[in-house]
Amino acid sequence: MSHVDDGILHGYLDGELAPAEARGVDAHLAQCPECRRRVDEERALIARAAELLAVATPPDRALPPFRAGDVKAPTRLWWQVRLPLAWAATVALALGIGAYLGSDEQRAPEAEAARSTVAPPLARPEPPRQDLTRRETRVATGAARTAPAAPPAAPQARARVDNIAVPRPEPVMSADRAAAGVADSVRLEARPEWIAQPKASGEERSQWQKEGAISIDSARRVLGADPLVVPGVPIEALYRGRAIGYADVVIVEQALDSTTTIEVITARTAPQLLDQVVVASAPAARPELARAADSPAAALAKRPAPRAAKAAAQVRPDLFRDVRGPLSADSLAALRRRLQPLRAATGP
Amino acid sequence: MPQDLAEIYRTTYRALVRFLYRKVWDAARAEALAQEAFARAVVHKPDNARGWLFIVAANMARDDARRAARERRHLTLLKAEPQSEPATDDAVHAETERTQVRAALEQLTPRDREVLLLWDSGLSYDEIAAQTGLARGAIGTTLARARRRLVEAYEGKSGEHVARG
Repeated sequence: MSHVDDGILHGYLDGELAPAEARGVDAHLAQCPECRRRVDEERALIARAAELLAVATPPDRALPPFRAGDVKAPTRLWWQVRLPLAWAATVALALGIGAYLGSDEQRAPEAEAARSTVAPPLARPEPPRQDLTRRETRVATGAARTAPAAPPAAPQARARVDNIAVPRPEPVMSADRAAAGVADSVRLEARPEWIAQPKASGEERSQWQKEGAISIDSARRVLGADPLVVPGVPIEALYRGRAIGYADVVIVEQALDSTTTIEVITARTAPQLLDQVVVASAPAARPELARAADSPAAALAKRPAPRAAKAAAQVRPDLFRDVRGPLSADSLAALRRRLQPLRAATGP
Repeated sequence: MPQDLAEIYRTTYRALVRFLYRKVWDAARAEALAQEAFARAVVHKPDNARGWLFIVAANMARDDARRAARERRHLTLLKAEPQSEPATDDAVHAETERTQVRAALEQLTPRDREVLLLWDSGLSYDEIAAQTGLARGAIGTTLARARRRLVEAYEGKSGEHVARG
């Protein structure tokens, strides 16, 4: 038998040879001092390699608990996982704004008007944010470049990133509610503003795709709850809707007067992991909300509206709601505060 | 089979973290990625969970390295002032050693390195063969070469000429 090659020898030392093969090696070693010497060498090499690898080992920490179905990692990886999506969404939105403003001449002035009301809180000077979010700035300027027709795209795109970053404030709110007591009403008031800010502008409207008309009963089935409406305003029609990130969407068209129709959107956020994401983002979300509460828009929202606040408290917190229409941001915000579930609104 | 997966978690989690650490060189990242891999295993319920975990982990580490490289470009500007953490001699020494092992590992071909890291993570020749696509008979040869190169690269670099063989 010829000498044992390195591969076989390592397999032998690793205990990975088939029994017959290992016996063959044993037999050869018994009569070959040369190979016996090599076995010792290779054994030392293997030990040395293992030793070096052991140096490249992270500190040994206690095994984190594992429960099947306990999907912890996504929450931990939330930023890493979500950020690329946020980028994609930002770019897509920026392009969308451009396309929207470019294609729809007639609506452009209106979008412009909406923007001018929305812009002030957002159009903060750049520098304070630069250090924090270099990349956002880059995207924003990039967006402005792609959509030269829409110079304000930059602040909006940034606002959108913020918005994606903290996708669902509601459960946070409800968690707060138990503890917060008085601050509660302020925050509840602040919430629609916070959601509304970027939504009032043109690009957001395209996110909500209207599909077929549906009956009130199917709308209830779809949402598992009554769709929200502005009480006292005639309902024109209900539509099934579609939007990225939402499981079920119902859009109610209501006629404010003969020429003005508003759309009230009620959406159930997609189930699954988003719940956990919100838990993870809770600490991040709070400062955001607190800031919203300080903003002039929120101050405006503090105007006494006790009934509306009560109604808002009845609304299921996992439902996203919004009002769109050819109105000023302030009017839309006022309507948002009046939203109530359909049954309560129409009932006695 | 969550029961099986729980068992695999108990026996494999640390190995997976180690495996990942030697790719991303950041303990916290390695742990996060390992947890992510297990979280995905819970969802996907792969047949051969252990092998599957290492494949997924390797892919995640690769993506993570790309992302990290991208971020480093941004961070170089922010890190103008060095972190002035008073490090003990031991810590400095350990860090130096780790850096040298890392450098030595990086001198291996990707295939040799992968086989070596998988073996060190406790995978069998069969599992390594299945995962890398190498013939089972080639694993021993690859490991022999990888080990030799690692030791040579390390010792050539560190200047510690350990008298051996």
